[in-house]
Amino acid sequence: MALTDTLYNALFRRNSIFVSSIFVGAFGFGLAFDTATNRFWDNWNKGKQWKDIRDKYVTPAGADEE
Amino acid sequence: MALPARAISFKPYNLAVTTRTLPSGVPIAPGISLYAKGYGVDHGHGHGHGAARSDVPPSWTSGVRLGGSNFESKTPLLTIPPFLMGESSCTAPVSRSVHTSSQVPAPSPSPYAVPDWSHYKTENPSMNRAFSYFMVGSMGLLGASAAKATITDFLATMAASADVLALAKVEVSMSAIPLAKNVIIKWRGKPVFVRHRTEDEIKEARSVNIKTLRDPQTDEDRVKRPEWLVMLGVCTHLGCVPIGESGDYGGWFCPCHGSHYDISGRARKGPAPLNLEVPPYDFNDAEEKIIIG
Repeated sequence: MALTDTLYNALFRRNSIFVSSIFVGAFGFGLAFDTATNRFWDNWNKGKQWKDIRDKYVTPAGADEE
Repeated sequence: MALPARAISFKPYNLAVTTRTLPSGVPIAPGISLYAKGYGVDHGHGHGHGAARSDVPPSWTSGVRLGGSNFESKTPLLTIPPFLMGESSCTAPVSRSVHTSSQVPAPSPSPYAVPDWSHYKTENPSMNRAFSYFMVGSMGLLGASAAKATITDFLATMAASADVLALAKVEVSMSAIPLAKNVIIKWRGKPVFVRHRTEDEIKEARSVNIKTLRDPQTDEDRVKRPEWLVMLGVCTHLGCVPIGESGDYGGWFCPCHGSHYDISGRARKGPAPLNLEVPPYDFNDAEEKIIIG
Protein backbone atom coordinates (compact mmCIF):
# COMPACT_ATOMS: atom_id res chain seq x y z
CA MET A 1 0.00 0.00 0.00
CA ALA A 2 2.69 2.42 1.00
CA LEU A 3 4.83 1.40 -1.94
CA THR A 4 2.07 1.93 -4.47
CA ASP A 5 1.23 5.32 -3.01
CA THR A 6 4.89 6.29 -3.07
CA LEU A 7 5.14 5.20 -6.69
CA TYR A 8 2.03 7.16 -7.61
CA ASN A 9 3.19 10.31 -5.88
CA ALA A 10 6.72 10.06 -7.26
CA LEU A 11 6.03 9.24 -10.90
CA PHE A 12 2.41 9.22 -11.96
CA ARG A 13 0.89 12.25 -10.30
CA ARG A 14 2.37 14.85 -12.69
CA ASN A 15 2.11 14.09 -16.37
CA SER A 16 5.34 15.94 -17.12
CA ILE A 17 7.24 13.70 -14.73
CA PHE A 18 5.37 10.65 -16.02
CA VAL A 19 6.20 11.31 -19.68
CA SER A 20 9.79 12.35 -19.03
CA SER A 21 10.37 9.25 -16.91
CA ILE A 22 8.95 7.19 -19.78
CA PHE A 23 11.48 8.73 -22.19
CA VAL A 24 14.37 8.32 -19.79
CA GLY A 25 13.26 4.77 -19.14
CA ALA A 26 13.02 4.10 -22.88
CA PHE A 27 16.60 5.32 -23.31
CA GLY A 28 17.83 3.09 -20.50
CA PHE A 29 15.74 0.19 -21.71
CA GLY A 30 17.13 0.52 -25.24
CA LEU A 31 20.69 0.49 -23.94
CA ALA A 32 20.06 -2.48 -21.70
CA PHE A 33 18.18 -4.37 -24.39
CA ASP A 34 20.91 -3.83 -27.00
CA THR A 35 23.63 -4.82 -24.56
CA ALA A 36 21.78 -7.93 -23.48
CA THR A 37 20.93 -9.07 -27.02
CA ASN A 38 24.47 -8.39 -28.25
CA ARG A 39 25.93 -10.34 -25.39
CA PHE A 40 23.56 -13.19 -26.07
CA TRP A 41 24.45 -13.12 -29.79
CA ASP A 42 28.19 -13.15 -29.11
CA ASN A 43 27.74 -15.92 -26.60
CA TRP A 44 25.57 -17.97 -28.94
CA ASN A 45 28.03 -17.57 -31.86
CA LYS A 46 31.15 -17.98 -29.83
CA GLY A 47 34.06 -19.07 -31.98
CA LYS A 48 32.36 -18.23 -35.27
CA GLN A 49 32.86 -14.50 -35.54
CA TRP A 50 35.86 -12.75 -36.99
CA LYS A 51 36.80 -11.16 -33.72
CA ASP A 52 37.02 -14.61 -32.17
CA ILE A 53 39.14 -16.22 -34.90
CA ARG A 54 41.17 -13.15 -35.81
CA ASP A 55 44.19 -14.36 -33.85
CA LYS A 56 44.48 -17.44 -36.04
CA TYR A 57 44.89 -15.48 -39.25
CA VAL A 58 46.49 -12.18 -38.32
CA THR A 59 50.04 -12.77 -37.18
CA PRO A 60 51.99 -10.05 -35.40
CA ALA A 61 54.56 -10.10 -38.22
CA GLY A 62 51.81 -9.30 -40.72
CA ALA A 63 51.40 -5.80 -39.34
CA ASP A 64 52.46 -4.35 -42.70
CA GLU A 65 49.35 -5.69 -44.37
CA GLU A 66 47.20 -3.57 -42.16
CA MET B 1 -49.76 -30.05 -21.36
CA ALA B 2 -50.82 -26.75 -22.79
CA LEU B 3 -48.66 -25.65 -25.63
CA PRO B 4 -48.72 -21.98 -26.52
CA ALA B 5 -50.71 -21.05 -29.51
CA ARG B 6 -47.65 -19.77 -31.34
CA ALA B 7 -45.97 -22.19 -33.64
CA ILE B 8 -42.72 -22.89 -31.88
CA SER B 9 -40.67 -25.95 -32.59
CA PHE B 10 -39.39 -27.41 -29.38
CA LYS B 11 -36.19 -29.31 -29.48
CA PRO B 12 -34.53 -30.95 -26.54
CA TYR B 13 -31.01 -29.66 -25.83
CA ASN B 14 -28.36 -30.94 -23.51
CA LEU B 15 -26.85 -27.68 -22.39
CA ALA B 16 -25.47 -26.21 -19.28
CA VAL B 17 -28.42 -24.95 -17.41
CA THR B 18 -27.23 -21.39 -17.02
CA THR B 19 -25.70 -20.11 -20.19
CA ARG B 20 -25.92 -16.45 -19.33
CA THR B 21 -27.13 -14.18 -16.65
CA LEU B 22 -29.28 -11.15 -16.94
CA PRO B 23 -28.00 -7.95 -15.29
CA SER B 24 -30.43 -8.53 -12.52
CA GLY B 25 -28.66 -11.75 -11.64
CA VAL B 26 -31.32 -13.99 -13.05
CA PRO B 27 -29.79 -16.88 -14.98
CA ILE B 28 -31.35 -17.68 -18.30
CA ALA B 29 -31.03 -20.78 -20.39
CA PRO B 30 -32.17 -20.25 -23.96
CA GLY B 31 -33.88 -23.04 -25.71
CA ILE B 32 -34.87 -25.06 -22.70
CA SER B 33 -38.48 -25.79 -22.35
CA LEU B 34 -39.68 -25.35 -18.88
CA TYR B 35 -43.14 -26.43 -19.76
CA ALA B 36 -42.36 -29.90 -18.58
CA LYS B 37 -43.83 -29.27 -15.22
CA GLY B 38 -43.21 -31.30 -12.21
CA TYR B 39 -45.46 -33.67 -10.52
CA GLY B 40 -48.56 -32.46 -8.81
CA VAL B 41 -49.13 -29.58 -11.11
CA ASP B 42 -52.67 -28.81 -11.79
CA HIS B 43 -53.12 -29.22 -15.50
CA GLY B 44 -56.01 -26.86 -15.41
CA HIS B 45 -58.50 -29.23 -16.87
CA GLY B 46 -60.02 -31.02 -13.97
CA HIS B 47 -58.04 -34.19 -13.44
CA GLY B 48 -54.73 -34.66 -11.78
CA HIS B 49 -53.78 -34.39 -8.18
CA GLY B 50 -56.17 -31.75 -7.14
CA ALA B 51 -55.13 -28.66 -5.24
CA ALA B 52 -51.76 -26.98 -5.64
CA ARG B 53 -49.05 -28.44 -3.50
CA SER B 54 -46.91 -26.39 -1.25
CA ASP B 55 -43.60 -27.73 -2.64
CA VAL B 56 -44.25 -26.77 -6.25
CA PRO B 57 -42.90 -23.42 -7.42
CA PRO B 58 -45.55 -20.97 -8.48
CA SER B 59 -45.99 -20.61 -12.21
CA TRP B 60 -44.54 -17.05 -12.33
CA THR B 61 -41.14 -18.28 -11.31
CA SER B 62 -40.49 -19.82 -14.66
CA GLY B 63 -41.63 -19.16 -18.11
CA VAL B 64 -40.73 -18.98 -21.71
CA ARG B 65 -40.98 -16.02 -23.94
CA LEU B 66 -40.04 -15.16 -27.47
CA GLY B 67 -37.75 -12.16 -27.24
CA GLY B 68 -36.66 -11.01 -30.66
CA SER B 69 -35.07 -13.98 -32.35
CA ASN B 70 -34.18 -15.63 -29.06
CA PHE B 71 -36.36 -18.10 -27.34
CA GLU B 72 -35.73 -17.36 -23.72
CA SER B 73 -36.79 -18.97 -20.60
CA LYS B 74 -36.19 -17.67 -17.15
CA THR B 75 -35.72 -19.61 -14.02
CA PRO B 76 -34.88 -17.64 -10.94
CA LEU B 77 -35.31 -20.69 -8.84
CA LEU B 78 -33.13 -23.68 -8.71
CA THR B 79 -33.40 -26.06 -11.58
CA ILE B 80 -32.74 -29.18 -9.62
CA PRO B 81 -36.00 -30.56 -8.35
CA PRO B 82 -36.58 -29.68 -4.75
CA PHE B 83 -36.88 -33.22 -3.59
CA LEU B 84 -33.28 -33.85 -4.65
CA MET B 85 -32.13 -30.96 -2.51
CA GLY B 86 -33.57 -32.48 0.60
CA GLU B 87 -35.35 -29.33 1.54
CA SER B 88 -38.85 -29.41 2.64
CA SER B 89 -39.96 -25.90 1.80
CA CYS B 90 -38.90 -24.83 -1.66
CA THR B 91 -41.23 -22.04 -2.50
CA ALA B 92 -38.85 -19.61 -0.86
CA PRO B 93 -35.87 -18.74 -3.07
CA VAL B 94 -32.74 -20.63 -2.28
CA SER B 95 -29.21 -20.13 -3.43
CA ARG B 96 -28.45 -21.28 -6.93
CA SER B 97 -26.71 -24.56 -6.97
CA VAL B 98 -25.74 -24.35 -10.63
CA HIS B 99 -23.91 -21.19 -11.54
CA THR B 100 -21.10 -19.91 -13.70
CA SER B 101 -19.60 -17.26 -11.50
CA SER B 102 -16.47 -18.05 -9.59
CA GLN B 103 -17.89 -16.88 -6.33
CA VAL B 104 -21.21 -17.96 -5.00
CA PRO B 105 -23.24 -14.90 -4.21
CA ALA B 106 -24.79 -14.81 -0.83
CA PRO B 107 -28.47 -15.72 -0.95
CA SER B 108 -30.45 -12.57 -1.38
CA PRO B 109 -33.43 -12.12 0.83
CA SER B 110 -35.77 -11.77 -2.09
CA PRO B 111 -35.62 -12.69 -5.78
CA TYR B 112 -36.30 -9.06 -6.58
CA ALA B 113 -33.56 -7.60 -4.44
CA VAL B 114 -30.40 -6.33 -6.06
CA PRO B 115 -27.73 -8.98 -5.53
CA ASP B 116 -24.86 -8.21 -3.25
CA TRP B 117 -21.88 -7.37 -5.42
CA SER B 118 -19.70 -6.09 -2.62
CA HIS B 119 -17.26 -8.97 -2.96
CA TYR B 120 -16.40 -7.66 -6.44
CA LYS B 121 -15.32 -4.36 -4.99
CA THR B 122 -11.59 -3.83 -4.60
CA GLU B 123 -10.06 -3.63 -1.20
CA ASN B 124 -6.95 -1.78 -2.40
CA PRO B 125 -7.70 1.12 -4.73
CA SER B 126 -4.19 2.60 -4.59
CA MET B 127 -2.73 -0.69 -5.79
CA ASN B 128 -5.14 -0.71 -8.73
CA ARG B 129 -4.33 2.90 -9.54
CA ALA B 130 -0.58 2.32 -9.43
CA PHE B 131 -0.97 -0.84 -11.51
CA SER B 132 -3.00 0.95 -14.19
CA TYR B 133 -0.50 3.78 -14.49
CA PHE B 134 2.36 1.30 -14.45
CA MET B 135 0.90 -0.63 -17.35
CA VAL B 136 0.27 2.58 -19.30
CA GLY B 137 3.82 3.72 -18.61
CA SER B 138 5.31 0.36 -19.58
CA MET B 139 3.49 0.39 -22.91
CA GLY B 140 4.69 3.94 -23.48
CA LEU B 141 8.23 2.93 -22.66
CA LEU B 142 8.19 -0.02 -25.04
CA GLY B 143 6.56 2.05 -27.75
CA ALA B 144 9.06 4.88 -27.35
CA SER B 145 12.05 2.55 -27.55
CA ALA B 146 10.55 0.74 -30.55
CA ALA B 147 10.01 4.04 -32.32
CA LYS B 148 13.54 5.14 -31.52
CA ALA B 149 14.99 1.85 -32.78
CA THR B 150 12.94 2.10 -35.98
CA ILE B 151 14.09 5.64 -36.70
CA THR B 152 17.75 4.98 -35.91
CA ASP B 153 17.77 1.82 -38.03
CA PHE B 154 16.17 3.69 -40.88
CA LEU B 155 18.71 6.49 -40.63
CA ALA B 156 21.52 3.95 -40.42
CA THR B 157 20.54 2.66 -43.86
CA MET B 158 21.46 6.08 -45.25
CA ALA B 159 24.92 6.05 -43.72
CA ALA B 160 27.98 5.07 -45.71
CA SER B 161 28.70 1.38 -45.72
CA ALA B 162 31.88 -0.09 -44.29
CA ASP B 163 33.62 -0.63 -47.65
CA VAL B 164 33.01 2.99 -48.62
CA LEU B 165 34.33 4.17 -45.29
CA ALA B 166 37.37 1.96 -45.69
CA LEU B 167 38.15 3.58 -49.05
CA ALA B 168 37.54 7.06 -47.69
CA LYS B 169 40.88 7.28 -45.90
CA VAL B 170 44.37 7.11 -47.31
CA GLU B 171 47.56 6.86 -45.32
CA VAL B 172 50.90 8.23 -46.53
CA SER B 173 54.12 7.35 -44.80
CA MET B 174 55.98 10.57 -43.94
CA SER B 175 59.36 8.89 -43.83
CA ALA B 176 58.98 7.81 -47.47
CA ILE B 177 58.91 11.42 -48.73
CA PRO B 178 62.31 13.10 -48.73
CA LEU B 179 62.75 16.83 -48.33
CA ALA B 180 61.72 18.95 -51.32
CA LYS B 181 59.87 16.13 -53.02
CA ASN B 182 56.32 15.79 -54.26
CA VAL B 183 54.14 12.72 -53.92
CA ILE B 184 50.89 12.27 -55.79
CA ILE B 185 48.45 9.77 -54.35
CA LYS B 186 44.91 8.86 -55.23
CA TRP B 187 42.22 9.66 -52.73
CA ARG B 188 38.52 9.20 -53.51
CA GLY B 189 39.27 9.16 -57.21
CA LYS B 190 41.23 12.41 -57.14
CA PRO B 191 44.96 13.11 -57.00
CA VAL B 192 46.39 14.56 -53.82
CA PHE B 193 49.68 16.40 -53.73
CA VAL B 194 51.85 15.95 -50.66
CA ARG B 195 55.01 18.07 -50.60
CA HIS B 196 57.75 17.94 -48.03
CA ARG B 197 58.78 21.61 -48.07
CA THR B 198 62.17 23.00 -47.25
CA GLU B 199 62.81 25.91 -44.91
CA ASP B 200 63.38 28.23 -47.85
CA GLU B 201 60.09 27.25 -49.43
CA ILE B 202 58.25 27.85 -46.18
CA LYS B 203 59.92 31.26 -45.85
CA GLU B 204 59.02 32.09 -49.41
CA ALA B 205 55.39 31.04 -48.97
CA ARG B 206 55.06 33.15 -45.84
CA SER B 207 56.66 36.26 -47.23
CA VAL B 208 53.95 36.83 -49.84
CA ASN B 209 51.70 39.79 -49.24
CA ILE B 210 48.30 38.14 -49.39
CA LYS B 211 46.56 41.40 -50.32
CA THR B 212 47.97 41.01 -53.79
CA LEU B 213 46.50 37.54 -54.22
CA ARG B 214 43.43 36.65 -56.19
CA ASP B 215 42.19 34.33 -53.39
CA PRO B 216 43.78 35.83 -50.27
CA GLN B 217 44.85 33.10 -47.85
CA THR B 218 47.86 32.93 -45.56
CA ASP B 219 50.18 29.96 -45.68
CA GLU B 220 49.39 29.27 -42.00
CA ASP B 221 45.74 28.74 -42.93
CA ARG B 222 46.63 26.20 -45.59
CA VAL B 223 48.95 23.89 -43.67
CA LYS B 224 48.82 22.20 -40.31
CA ARG B 225 52.57 21.78 -40.19
CA PRO B 226 54.67 24.12 -42.35
CA GLU B 227 56.90 21.36 -43.71
CA TRP B 228 53.98 19.32 -44.99
CA LEU B 229 51.73 20.73 -47.69
CA VAL B 230 48.72 18.58 -48.50
CA MET B 231 46.21 19.63 -51.15
CA LEU B 232 43.96 18.31 -53.88
CA GLY B 233 45.72 18.13 -57.23
CA VAL B 234 42.77 19.47 -59.21
CA CYS B 235 43.10 22.81 -60.96
CA THR B 236 40.36 25.12 -59.75
CA HIS B 237 39.86 26.40 -63.26
CA LEU B 238 38.59 23.38 -65.19
CA GLY B 239 39.83 20.39 -63.25
CA CYS B 240 43.10 19.41 -64.90
CA VAL B 241 45.95 18.03 -62.83
CA PRO B 242 48.72 20.63 -62.45
CA ILE B 243 52.37 19.69 -62.91
CA GLY B 244 54.59 19.99 -59.87
CA GLU B 245 57.83 21.97 -59.44
CA SER B 246 57.12 24.16 -62.41
CA GLY B 247 55.52 27.46 -63.25
CA ASP B 248 56.58 31.01 -62.59
CA TYR B 249 56.25 30.77 -58.82
CA GLY B 250 58.13 27.54 -58.11
CA GLY B 251 54.98 25.65 -57.34
CA TRP B 252 52.56 24.05 -59.73
CA PHE B 253 51.60 24.79 -63.29
CA CYS B 254 48.46 23.69 -65.05
CA PRO B 255 49.22 22.82 -68.69
CA CYS B 256 45.62 23.09 -69.86
CA HIS B 257 45.13 26.83 -69.61
CA GLY B 258 48.31 28.05 -67.98
CA SER B 259 47.42 28.64 -64.36
CA HIS B 260 50.36 29.14 -62.00
CA TYR B 261 50.31 28.15 -58.33
CA ASP B 262 52.94 29.07 -55.79
CA ILE B 263 54.69 26.84 -53.25
CA SER B 264 51.65 27.11 -50.97
CA GLY B 265 49.25 26.05 -53.74
CA ARG B 266 47.74 29.54 -54.12
CA ALA B 267 46.59 30.74 -57.55
CA ARG B 268 48.97 33.45 -58.75
CA LYS B 269 48.58 33.69 -62.49
CA GLY B 270 46.27 32.42 -65.21
CA PRO B 271 42.57 31.73 -65.24
CA ALA B 272 42.36 29.75 -61.97
CA PRO B 273 39.97 31.63 -59.65
CA LEU B 274 40.80 29.88 -56.39
CA ASN B 275 43.70 28.31 -54.54
CA LEU B 276 44.16 24.56 -54.67
CA GLU B 277 41.77 22.93 -52.23
CA VAL B 278 43.06 21.49 -48.94
CA PRO B 279 41.44 18.18 -47.96
CA PRO B 280 40.90 17.19 -44.33
CA TYR B 281 43.97 15.38 -43.08
CA ASP B 282 45.72 14.47 -39.87
CA PHE B 283 49.10 13.37 -38.61
CA ASN B 284 49.79 10.10 -36.88
CA ASP B 285 53.13 10.66 -35.19
CA ALA B 286 53.35 7.20 -33.66
CA GLU B 287 53.44 5.55 -37.09
CA GLU B 288 54.81 8.62 -38.93
CA LYS B 289 51.85 8.82 -41.26
CA ILE B 290 49.62 11.43 -42.79
CA ILE B 291 46.01 10.27 -42.84
CA ILE B 292 43.97 11.96 -45.54
CA GLY B 293 40.22 11.85 -45.15
